[in-house]
Amino acid sequence: MSEYIIKQSALADFFKSLANGRRLLSPQGVGDKCKLEETAPEKVSLDFTNTHMSPKSLLFPQTERLMAFHNEHDKPNGYVFQSALDSGEPTVVFGIRPCDARGLSIANKVFQNDRFTDPYWKGKFDRTVFIGLACDAPLPQCFCAAMGGSPFGESGLDVLAFRQTDGLGFKALTDKGTELLKAAGATEADLAGEIKSLEAKAIESQGVKPNYQPIDNLDLMDLFKDPHWEATAENCLNCGVCTFFCPTCHCFDIQDENSERGGVRMRNWDTCMSWLFTVHGTGHNPRPTKTERVRQRFMHKLKYIPLKQDGVRGCTGCGRCVVMCPVNIDIRSVALKMAQTAPTPA
Amino acid sequence: MPQLSEITGKIRESAKKLLTSGQADVVIGYRQGTVPMATAPFFARTPEDCDQLVWSNFARVNLANYLSGRPGKVALVAKGCDARSAVGQVTENQILKDNLYLIGVPCTGMIDNNLVVAKEPRPISEVTETTDEAITVKGNGFSTDIKKEDVLRRNCKTCVNRTPKLANELVGPEVNGAAADDYADIKALLGKSLEERMAYFKDLIKDCLRCYACRNACPLCYCPICFVDETRPQWLGKSTDAMDTMTFHLLRGLHCAGRCTSCGACETACPVNIKVREFNRIMELTVQSNWQYEPGMSWDQKPPLTMFQTDDTADFIK
Repeated sequence: MSEYIIKQSALADFFKSLANGRRLLSPQGVGDKCKLEETAPEKVSLDFTNTHMSPKSLLFPQTERLMAFHNEHDKPNGYVFQSALDSGEPTVVFGIRPCDARGLSIANKVFQNDRFTDPYWKGKFDRTVFIGLACDAPLPQCFCAAMGGSPFGESGLDVLAFRQTDGLGFKALTDKGTELLKAAGATEADLAGEIKSLEAKAIESQGVKPNYQPIDNLDLMDLFKDPHWEATAENCLNCGVCTFFCPTCHCFDIQDENSERGGVRMRNWDTCMSWLFTVHGTGHNPRPTKTERVRQRFMHKLKYIPLKQDGVRGCTGCGRCVVMCPVNIDIRSVALKMAQTAPTPA
Repeated sequence: MPQLSEITGKIRESAKKLLTSGQADVVIGYRQGTVPMATAPFFARTPEDCDQLVWSNFARVNLANYLSGRPGKVALVAKGCDARSAVGQVTENQILKDNLYLIGVPCTGMIDNNLVVAKEPRPISEVTETTDEAITVKGNGFSTDIKKEDVLRRNCKTCVNRTPKLANELVGPEVNGAAADDYADIKALLGKSLEERMAYFKDLIKDCLRCYACRNACPLCYCPICFVDETRPQWLGKSTDAMDTMTFHLLRGLHCAGRCTSCGACETACPVNIKVREFNRIMELTVQSNWQYEPGMSWDQKPPLTMFQTDDTADFIK
């Protein structure tokens, strides 16, 4: 794959070409109103920080209808089940951050893998092209580099775009991305050196990187049994903010909502911070207190996902949970505590 | 103009004394946050732990939230509103008065981060605060001074009970209350038609994610199982359906009637900045005008909605 440029004067045409036959989404609004929205080509802006929420709802809406059913048992066709599969229109997302694209790529392995495919996720995923905008000025709460990502990270993207003094530079990462750039009339250029130096600068701006590496080598049960969890969880409110804002949290709860003659089956975001997440029909709860629930969240992000996804951590360092947690439970501090776990002597 | 460090010093001194003498097994206070403009609830159990306790213009979490059902002797760092919530926990039999020690901090209000960001939208990487009157926020190439009175949380702007009068001790000079909430907007709202009011509330909660941060940050919401979490039977749908979401907010508002101390913990916790207190303010006004009742003002008062009196003025109850 290769690199391309589009000069400032041609950007308007570039965005028009993106929107040709597709829904164009880009970050709009500021602060807590900043989100990926359908955007007219002339309204695309490069001046945004990060979207308030992660983009996961694009592929995994908070509430998603799976099917509808109704009862016509007094008629010959009896009970009727109708799929509610809606893959939406072809879409191009311009301006997703590399951390968030990485988040989607981690969730993607949950929804599409060698064991099964989730058609609801896949339908939308296949119809979407992701053009990332590299972070030349990461926010104070950002720590993607410490988690193994980069402000110029490529995971989950079809194209990585970055600012140049005159327009935008691009790195095509998939065939989908290459086609799109070519169709938009982008000029090929060798930008590898420029990307490398911009990336190094952006990583440096995130300051000293804490070393979370020991977690990867520590035994799972040693991490699990470490006594710090009680203190780590003590101030947790067990609300769902961290999970709802997390770009990789993907757990859901399937619910049927019925009326007399029919109903719908839907899935809704769920949160492992709630006691209800694990309670059994018998009333038994394998995660009875917030200590077990908090441990689950951090173990899942920093140990279980890496074990299942070739070492890739389930935290992308986007910093949302860090700033949104009402009681300032900071995954960076928790990760350091985990990294300091004493291994059981052999 | 008290220095924050003075109050911090007194909190630590008191906490150490309470832990050493065995008057408290744990002191619940605040420690410095790991990000700018934040503190974190902190549980001090040894005199050494106490050196992490701080006082700040960002001590927003209502620590009375950690009292319900807690065993042992607890000391709590409490603002005016938190102390009233703690008194409420006693009057609602959630904790024994004898097991509770309130380290009262006369409070001049806490800062709403959203208002700071509105004044200084550039990314803030550091904040310095030395007094309870102003802060300085800093970032890449800027340093901006902000007066606290310009960025106070709205519940703090109308707080008349800033000094926790029922506390066991005060760690700072008493402060005067602000001008009381006149509920002008709520009165105007109540004068509107049912349809207009419904439209107002629908718009108010349109961004709600049902993460329940408001409920979980609230010291009144200590039910072992909240009605929204009941499964046998399930009272409420789990989706983002507007009516289910509305039911949650309306019922929470009603459940808190006559108990809410306007601490603002719900609004501070809300990740999408919903003015959750609108529901509570209506109930505050209703309870105040019907029963002249303010929660958390004495150790032996009972919330009006938990009481029955033979001379009740309401017809429906007789």
